[in-house]
Amino acid sequence: MKRETQNILLILLGGALVKIAVNGDYLRYVKPAQQPWVIAGGAVMVLLGAVAIVRDLLAARAKVAAGAEPGTAPDLPEAAGHGAADHGHAHSTRPAWLLLVPVLAVFLVAPPALGSDSVIRTESRAPSSAAAANAAAFPPLPAGDVVPLAVNEFVSRAGWDKAGTLDDRTVALTGFVVHTEGNTLLARLVISCCAADAFPVTVRLRGGEADHLASDTWIKVTGRVVPGTATKENSYTPDFTPASVTTVPTPKDPYEY
Amino acid sequence: MDTLPDTEAEPGRRTRRFRISSVEVLCAILLIAILAQGRLQQLFDVPALRTGSTVFVAVCVQALPFLVLGVLISGAIAAFVPARVLEKVLPRRAGAAVGVAGLAGVALPGCECASVPVARRLMGQGVAPAAALTFLLAAPAVNPVVLVATAVAFPGKPEMVLARFAGSLATAVVMGWLWARWGKLEWITERALRRLPEVATGQRWRVFAETARTDLVEAGGFLVLGALISSALNVLVPARWFGVLGDQIVLGVLVMAVLAVVLALCSEADAFVAASLTALPLLPKLVFLVVGPAVDVKLFALQAGTFGRSFAVRFAPVTFVVAIACAVVAGVVVGVS
Repeated sequence: MKRETQNILLILLGGALVKIAVNGDYLRYVKPAQQPWVIAGGAVMVLLGAVAIVRDLLAARAKVAAGAEPGTAPDLPEAAGHGAADHGHAHSTRPAWLLLVPVLAVFLVAPPALGSDSVIRTESRAPSSAAAANAAAFPPLPAGDVVPLAVNEFVSRAGWDKAGTLDDRTVALTGFVVHTEGNTLLARLVISCCAADAFPVTVRLRGGEADHLASDTWIKVTGRVVPGTATKENSYTPDFTPASVTTVPTPKDPYEY
Repeated sequence: MDTLPDTEAEPGRRTRRFRISSVEVLCAILLIAILAQGRLQQLFDVPALRTGSTVFVAVCVQALPFLVLGVLISGAIAAFVPARVLEKVLPRRAGAAVGVAGLAGVALPGCECASVPVARRLMGQGVAPAAALTFLLAAPAVNPVVLVATAVAFPGKPEMVLARFAGSLATAVVMGWLWARWGKLEWITERALRRLPEVATGQRWRVFAETARTDLVEAGGFLVLGALISSALNVLVPARWFGVLGDQIVLGVLVMAVLAVVLALCSEADAFVAASLTALPLLPKLVFLVVGPAVDVKLFALQAGTFGRSFAVRFAPVTFVVAIACAVVAGVVVGVS
């Protein structure tokens, strides 16, 4: 592969990173704290490619001016011996073509955030916060008729909280619908770094109001936990009696952390 | 950003008579891909492929910035740190240099992708390969960011942090000593070892940019390959593997070691994944945490690309065995159970 092509690929890939970091799509793939890293990484990539292109053009122009044959690969004569330029030709640079794959994936396919397929594929696991807390005391829920809770937090309390802070309290949960083994679940994926380490937390919806909704539909439910239903045997999936089920638009930030 | 490549490609095309080169191939691929975008999206509208492609992009987006950090450090070493300075700093004896390199790993916070180009550059600057390889294994595993993440994922269990630190450092140092004793230079591709000549003062920035660029193009391709493999395995490996291991400690250790290799999680995230597997005892989790940053499919691809295939096929399996052994010993000594 020629230097020009490598530089173009670097600019494309860096541009793809900057693009998703700026327009918010990066939240489908990594946690929000990664944003500055993604922007900086992409920008440096673009810069390295652009600097090389400009330098090559200047070198080629200088060569033409000096009467050399135009069109030979510009090989920074002053950097002689440093070897990076000819070094690129010394071995196969074919693997560099792979840089094009993420570019095409980001610009053309734009994979969506993980959803129900990932939940069915991955056995639901205990939220690490809860497993870590080891049944330590959970603070009581804030006052209010309907308490909005993260699904992660809800499942942790349902599974580990011995004091029963969820009992007889109405909570609001937001997540997407998953149909599996005859059950309708409300699920959310929890990530700690990027979507590769995502694991699901799930709540089983009783009552059937959500049964007709397609998988991956985002819903907000209010209702109550059925105490004692989150056990090790059902991978800590508590039962939930919804009082209301409303569909909501897909949130910009689809994961919990 | 979409329009940039056309304008940039223009001069390259003008300067030569028409001949199909990689620039034209690239333009053709981009054109076809853009025209076929609808078909492409349809093709990826299968649940498994959709999940796989999301994981693939996620691994790339998460790892590429760290690779960029790595190549910048590599470029800086090439341009601003003359070989004789490194020679002065490191002990002459390879055995002692290995120890220093292991502890130096504490100073580079970042994912494992960053340490591969740095280790290669250290070799290029005349650092003993044993020491550079120790640094390669130590940097992603024992840095403060990773240790803090482990402490957060396992609150009330400081022995996990200690055992992870000890196990990973031991893996790195043992591998360094093994290399110093039995390693052969000819396994490493000649281009990784090529000494850079002394850089003249006026050239430093140019060498810096050029080294970083070349390293990025080389390693980036392999990182993408690793991301492809690990996202495929992420979808294909049945999650049941995690579930059935409750009581069988030996099987648990082995399966968790294999999972660490195929899942190729970032070393800052693996502690949270391990912590979420409540069915497992701590020792297999510790093995998962020690093996992951030392050897996984993403790293294997990067190492094969950077140091050559004949190096990677020897180094990775030995690292795998050594890492399991060190993790188990560290776990037993520290008292993780």
